[in-house]
Amino acid sequence: MTGPSFWGQAREIGLKDLRVEGRSGEVLNITIPFGAVALLLIPLAIGIDRPLIAAVGPGMFWVVTLLFGMLVTFRHSATETVANREMMVLLGMDPAAQFVGRVAASFLLLLAFEGVLAPLTIVLYNPDPVSGWPVLIVVLLLMAIGLALIGTLASGITSGLRSRNTLAPLLVAPLSLPLLVGASQTHEALAQESSILTPILLLVAVVLGLAVVGVLTARFLEEASR
Amino acid sequence: MNRHRILGLSALVVIAIGLYFGSQAPLDGLQGEYTRIMYVHVPSAWLAYLSFLVTLVASILWLTKRRLVFDRVAESSVSIGVFFTALALMTGMIWGYPVWGTFWDWGDARMMTTALMFFVYVGYLALRRSIPDPAMRATRSAVLGIVAFFLVPLSYMSVLIVRTLHQGITVARPDSPIDGEILLALLSNVGAFTVVYLTFMSLKTAIARGEEELEEQSAAVDATPAGAAITAPNLEKVRDV
Repeated sequence: MTGPSFWGQAREIGLKDLRVEGRSGEVLNITIPFGAVALLLIPLAIGIDRPLIAAVGPGMFWVVTLLFGMLVTFRHSATETVANREMMVLLGMDPAAQFVGRVAASFLLLLAFEGVLAPLTIVLYNPDPVSGWPVLIVVLLLMAIGLALIGTLASGITSGLRSRNTLAPLLVAPLSLPLLVGASQTHEALAQESSILTPILLLVAVVLGLAVVGVLTARFLEEASR
Repeated sequence: MNRHRILGLSALVVIAIGLYFGSQAPLDGLQGEYTRIMYVHVPSAWLAYLSFLVTLVASILWLTKRRLVFDRVAESSVSIGVFFTALALMTGMIWGYPVWGTFWDWGDARMMTTALMFFVYVGYLALRRSIPDPAMRATRSAVLGIVAFFLVPLSYMSVLIVRTLHQGITVARPDSPIDGEILLALLSNVGAFTVVYLTFMSLKTAIARGEEELEEQSAAVDATPAGAAITAPNLEKVRDV
């Protein structure tokens, strides 16, 4: 009798993470409203200057996605205990499959997060419309998968440490820079009707690179978490 | 004479040579004497990139070979890289004030990416301090050493990706417009800073090895319950009774 395949294991882990989220409702009930509050507070901090607010709106959306997206990607590290990890080892779960499953779950939750906050940003900030805006949907997807990869990697690196809650954001925020640059540059290129190839390629390259590193190092991180 | 002294003396000699070339090189028509900051700023940035590249290679080698020397090299190189990154940022800001009119320019992608690269590697050092177990510390920081390297090419290429105030890639261009004497002064300082890096690496890895030995000794002492005051029960005698 053989166990589930690599993708079967990844699916089970992903579903498990989504079930945990479904029961706790942390992203839906806490993180998304928290992100919405941040989007409301920013214009109050920079002054009621409508053209300025419209100009900074897209950038603020990416920053809020990045900073609050971290909370989405770290949430499973709070529920995972040493016993939980050891049980995974005893079950013979492939660490790379666990990584893929966690990334997939975080990706879906981040998409939900972006799906709520993007329309809210448009309503609140009223940014200037850009031609070719459907490209931004691809950027949203790439941003979500990139953040899910970085967050899952950072969770693995800091899992079980006492300083995890402060250390993980310190690692994720600067590491997300290529994503932020890629996303903001795509928006700027669309606004100026110039080529979007370079920022999109940057996003794709970063996502592919992180996925390869994450899968290849999953076994080592799993060993180092016991 | 031991290796550290030879490297230290070599570093002093090559730094003196670099300073000489830097002081003799012609000045930029617009920037005047401020041009000379370049002979510290550019080598510092180069050393920062080199340090993090060494960390990347040593991290991969630790994960594949499991020899503690690679972990020592990775950690030492990050410590030195963080120092040179800070130096590159500071000299950049000092240079930027008279030339751009501000210490920090938000339109400069190179400054921004370098600053964030600095913070990721500060996080690397913080991570190491949070993990007492040497093998766990080495493995987790090795993974971070690999992931963090993403920011190094991004910082270097940022002047191409983003429209920025910072000067574009100059020396590495095939049609480099740089003056021969300025290039000589720049390369001699890059060489001198590289010898300084090797000296720091030699010292830092020696210190790291000493710290590991101390940790091992402390662990051996801690393994004895209540130090030497209490000894383990002699079970042989108990059995005899």
